[in-house]
Amino acid sequence: MNVSTKERPSTQTRVLSYAGALLETMDAALADHPNTFIMGQGVDDFKGIFGSTTGLAQKYGAERVFDVPLMEEGMTGVAIGAALVGDYPITTHIRADFSFLAMNQIVNLASKYRYMFGGIMSCPMLIRLVVGRSWGQGAQHSQSPQATFAHYPGLTVVMPSTSQAILDMYPQIIARHPGPVVSIEHRLLYNLDFSVSAETPSKPIPLTSYVAREGRDVTVVATSVMVLEALRAAQYVAEKAGIEVEVIDLNSISHPDWDLVIGSIRKTGRLVIADTSWLEYGVAGEVCRQVMVRDPSMLRQAPAMLGMAAAPCPTAKSLEDIYYPSQHETVEAIVTQVRGSGHGIELPVERSMTEGYKRFRGPF
Amino acid sequence: MAAGMAAFQAGECSLMDSDERYRRLFRTALTIRLVEERIIELYPSDRIQSPVHLSIGQEAVAVGVCDALNADDLVFATYRSHGFYIAKGGPLDKMFAELYGRIGGVSKGKAGSMHLSAPEVGLMGSSAVVASSIPHAVGAALSFKRRGSSRVAVAVFGDGATEEGVYHESLNFAALMKVPVLFLCEDNGLAVHSFKNARQSYNLLEHAAIFGIESRRVDEGWDMLAIRQATLDALSVVRAGRPFVLEIATGRYKEHVGVGDDFHFGYRSAVDIDAWKARDPLLLDEKLVAELKPEIDREIAAAAAFAEKSPFPGRDELLTDII
Repeated sequence: MNVSTKERPSTQTRVLSYAGALLETMDAALADHPNTFIMGQGVDDFKGIFGSTTGLAQKYGAERVFDVPLMEEGMTGVAIGAALVGDYPITTHIRADFSFLAMNQIVNLASKYRYMFGGIMSCPMLIRLVVGRSWGQGAQHSQSPQATFAHYPGLTVVMPSTSQAILDMYPQIIARHPGPVVSIEHRLLYNLDFSVSAETPSKPIPLTSYVAREGRDVTVVATSVMVLEALRAAQYVAEKAGIEVEVIDLNSISHPDWDLVIGSIRKTGRLVIADTSWLEYGVAGEVCRQVMVRDPSMLRQAPAMLGMAAAPCPTAKSLEDIYYPSQHETVEAIVTQVRGSGHGIELPVERSMTEGYKRFRGPF
Repeated sequence: MAAGMAAFQAGECSLMDSDERYRRLFRTALTIRLVEERIIELYPSDRIQSPVHLSIGQEAVAVGVCDALNADDLVFATYRSHGFYIAKGGPLDKMFAELYGRIGGVSKGKAGSMHLSAPEVGLMGSSAVVASSIPHAVGAALSFKRRGSSRVAVAVFGDGATEEGVYHESLNFAALMKVPVLFLCEDNGLAVHSFKNARQSYNLLEHAAIFGIESRRVDEGWDMLAIRQATLDALSVVRAGRPFVLEIATGRYKEHVGVGDDFHFGYRSAVDIDAWKARDPLLLDEKLVAELKPEIDREIAAAAAFAEKSPFPGRDELLTDII
């Protein structure tokens, strides 16, 4: 299954992992823009942020790709200072949870710099966070803070769900986005292979939402790895029940294409929201807000929502498995939207998402 | 004049140069003092509808330090930055318009007193969150180093800021990466209303030393020429690629925020500040004040008139320059 249904002039494709796409875009950023540098804990070590920066310190030198002390706030402040004098810093947090130590710089400074100073200064930079979710990461290594960051005007927040999304977004973010960007990557995606276009897009692709799969019966608005979960579920319900699911990858959390989202919900009249974080005060709430302020009558029934349980993430596998929505629950939410609770459709047995990704490597 | 004489005796310059320098620094310091005194007069009129943190008593630090810098060196300062704005060469008309919340201000009125900047003369964005602009100076300095530039960056902060974690992070990183940054501590001994001995278990210079960072304290925080010379000495280290911590004792005459005195609250005594006032050249050198004041007053009046005439930002500004 190819998750990218964006219209492209060429049908030439190649297979590229998520980590591979990150490495390609980091490499290209350093090659194409002499003012770019990458800093973060472990960016120059043998693991290279799960393979996304491996070998770049050797290739471009320690002045452009370097390890930093344990100083999340300081590092982000250093990045702001460098950006203010014309550099393009890329910082990394190998677990998104550690970005909370940099909240002061991200929220109080970077997000406000351009506006607060009346447009005379800005600090374009890319802050890469990795959601550590997988296998017993527990309460402090698994959080997915898109709602937190998207709350603050001045930040652009994206969540690439595929290798293609990285290839489409990162080069243009680095080359021309005027402000700070928080990109929330997902650890479960890193080792997956994706089918990507073999050609570079000829014009910039908007940093916004897109239709990942067309359908007529129900709209699933999804983020990050939940886009893949939605696509897997869409394929399942198409085969089992002839239900055609439209999947929208929100992709940009701060600046979604609301017209696209609302147009799809209007068409199907049914909505499932599948997010990688908590439902409370998050993406799910925002999607519902957008429906409510436009025309709540576009919904034929109350929407369904999939996200993390309203608790810190437990480490025990028995609890972690029920903490995240499984493929079983995703399919159930979709078919219940379309056919009601007495649908009688056989549901997939898969009840642990992590187990699913242990077996499945793509290509998507 | 004592420090000017000392500089002369050290053979650094002729007496005439030294006198001219003293007059130049004095004039800038007096401009800061008179601007802030004008702010005090204007404040009850509500032309300035935002908090102001006055640097009256601390002018010599901004003046001495900025005079030692090159025009293209960068300063990253704090919410108490009227002094640094003026000392670095920021235009008075745009400053007043900014304080008045007008479109003709440096930042179209969106910044106000706490976020003054003048990047065209090297004053980068001032931050109201204590210590938060310190790593920005380190980052700019890192950039200068990688480009092989001779420029330096100055992080300006108060003694309270050194208690924040990011100060320690910044010193460690600057020392590790050997970047040309001057850490400038304006030690007025107060964090809002808390005295330093209730807040700090360390000595700032000893603290710098554990990072291998050279440092110096200047106790004569009223002496512009001594501060200028100490800064020049520090900059010779910084331009050679080593960070430096320069701590300058100073006295905050006014309340933490606002335009009043705060001795009547009882948490500190006017006597604490009298010692500073007894050395304050802006109070002592009445002759020079009388000579320079009329022209500076005219400049201030012109700046205030510019601000008065500048329109308020309209609704079209509300949602611009966000991303």
